Amino acid sequence: MGMRRYIAKRVAHALVVIYIVATIVFFAVRAIPGDPARVLLGGDASAEAIAALREEMGLTEPLYVQYIRWMGRILQGDLGTSVFSDQSVLQMLIGVAEPTLSIAGLGMLIALLIAIPAGITSAVKQYQWEDYVATTVSFIGISMPGFWIGIVLLIIFADRLGWVPAFGYVSFRQGIIPWLKHIILPALAVGLPYGGILMRMTRSSMMEVLNEDYMRTARAKGLDGRLIVFKHGLQNALIPIVTVAGILLGVLLGGVVAVEIVFGIQGLGRLLIASIQRRDFPAIQGAVILISFVFVFMNLLVDVLYTSINPQIKYGGSE
Amino acid sequence: MSSQPRPTQRAGPSVSTTVTEEPPLLAVDNLHTTFTTERGDVPAVDGVSFAINEGEVFGIVGESGSGKSVTALSLLGLADGATVTADRLCFRDEDLLAKDEAALREIRGNDISMIFQDPMSSLNPVMTVGEQIAEVVRHHGDVGESQSLFAELRRKYVTGTSESSASWQRAVELLDTVGIPDPADRANEYPHQLSGGMKQRVMIAQALAGDPDLIIADEPTTALDVTIEAQILNELLDLRDEFGVSIMLITHDLAVVRETCDRVAVMYAGEMMETADTRTLFEDPRHPYTRGLIDSIPRTDDDREWLDAIEGNVPDPTAKPQGCPFRTRCDAAFSLCEEPLVAYSAEEPGHRTWCHLYNDAVANDGDEVQRVDDAEAKQLIQEHEASDDLVTPQRPNFGGEYR
Repeated sequence: MGMRRYIAKRVAHALVVIYIVATIVFFAVRAIPGDPARVLLGGDASAEAIAALREEMGLTEPLYVQYIRWMGRILQGDLGTSVFSDQSVLQMLIGVAEPTLSIAGLGMLIALLIAIPAGITSAVKQYQWEDYVATTVSFIGISMPGFWIGIVLLIIFADRLGWVPAFGYVSFRQGIIPWLKHIILPALAVGLPYGGILMRMTRSSMMEVLNEDYMRTARAKGLDGRLIVFKHGLQNALIPIVTVAGILLGVLLGGVVAVEIVFGIQGLGRLLIASIQRRDFPAIQGAVILISFVFVFMNLLVDVLYTSINPQIKYGGSE
Repeated sequence: MSSQPRPTQRAGPSVSTTVTEEPPLLAVDNLHTTFTTERGDVPAVDGVSFAINEGEVFGIVGESGSGKSVTALSLLGLADGATVTADRLCFRDEDLLAKDEAALREIRGNDISMIFQDPMSSLNPVMTVGEQIAEVVRHHGDVGESQSLFAELRRKYVTGTSESSASWQRAVELLDTVGIPDPADRANEYPHQLSGGMKQRVMIAQALAGDPDLIIADEPTTALDVTIEAQILNELLDLRDEFGVSIMLITHDLAVVRETCDRVAVMYAGEMMETADTRTLFEDPRHPYTRGLIDSIPRTDDDREWLDAIEGNVPDPTAKPQGCPFRTRCDAAFSLCEEPLVAYSAEEPGHRTWCHLYNDAVANDGDEVQRVDDAEAKQLIQEHEASDDLVTPQRPNFGGEYR
């Protein structure tokens, strides 16, 4: 099976996953105690007003009718309108996706750039000082939750040193440097725990590879140490790491939610939490669909990458 | 290619089965390789001596854990975490123990190359077989292609190895030499796309790529089935004839030794038991362990109901008995066996046995024996002789003809 067919098949799989996620979210938000109409109108609204709003929001209809209508609109690309702000959910999502994806993307980049070299060094220099430094730092990264790292970074770099602004977000359209200044701390906050786990993975994976027979073959050929590690070892060590990196992406996206609150950034995570508090069903559903979309397609990308670094994997197996 | 067994003694270029005037290609004298572990020091190789001549196939035979592989790895400085010492460890009169890592890298692959036991795991799964051979050609250094880290990584991840490069063309040639059909196509394949026998041929091509003087083949056929085994062994012998390369063949299989080796060393628990040319070893084995090994080979004219196995197991290397390590399993053991082993030479040049049965004192009934328990020794020797008719047509007599 060719690359193109493989990707088409995987995209179809991904869409099914997103559909299932959307369905679960639809029913789950309706199972949360609390009536959106009552939340919206406040505690002292009259029963008639609430009933009228419920009617207007389509909440009086049977659940399956609501579901079919909603699904029909989604298939047309309409995620609905926010109950709270009367804005189109799609517009809201586009507004908040940029800061979130900027933070997650930079966080992941930082994590990979730190974790993989550190993990390799650690494995090659096992039980030497480089190893102890790298494993200690990664342990600190794993042990502290992202929002806590965020607060510490805020105190040091924004408050005491004043190198970067403490709050808010500036789009990259207004300049790369201001954009970076605003997202560097949140990106570190989400990237360090993620990088800590990845570093440990890289270390153990590389250590395993260093003991493989083909590494001994490479040494018996007379190749020098760096060539053996980077040409013969690294790609083999990356095979399990790439898989884990994709799965851990969910951890990273989860971390962004808390970090946005610490840094006062209007991102996807804050929107989602605020929408849950307001029982803003269309906004919750839209946000969750977007997150699952990002997660599923990043994992698809990882799988495609995986087939290209591991020649033993054929696209879609032996069909 | 024929898979018939070859005669033991073959006419090859510069094959010498006797000790010659010229210095041997590889001389190993009193090699010790000791691993330091939490349970104590493990002497994996404990005083091994042998020499390999130019163009010779030299076999090292022994049970699992007898230190054959560690001996091989020690020669090239590949025995990780071990302390290697020797009175002499010379390749072409160059002291291998005195060389640092960089100097050893020049030896590895170029002068001495290795073939490992399991071709499934000994080839890199993410590199084409062509590239795995080509990089050795580049390392050998006569194709003028850079093998800096940057050049090698660019070749691997960006440009690929150019099929018109000299190293790649040489790799294809080598694949052809070792009998792989469609070598130009096969060079672009990954190890998992090849069969076990093909992979071992690739390993051989890789070992040949640096134009070595000595190939160490560590159980090269153990992971393969018997028909492929015969093909691979014949391939190695053909290459010896073609290129005059010496081969150190490590195996646990005496039948393989008989078919391929010019000379052979028998190892047990990290120590030498006996060394001789192959014919002598099979026709006139002197060490009780060698005899036990030969007795345990099934024969076509066998009228034995059971094969003669050697009772017991290899001793725990952390708790080896004093003296001869085999004495706990040896039928001929006597008091002298607790003394450290020394080599006793036989009539046949190059035939040496590390067994106190051949001590002049024991053999001559001289004064020395009084020091050990003479009566017990004699009785054991008699029993030993009486039990030995089956395998040894020319039983050793203890009449003092041994040096």
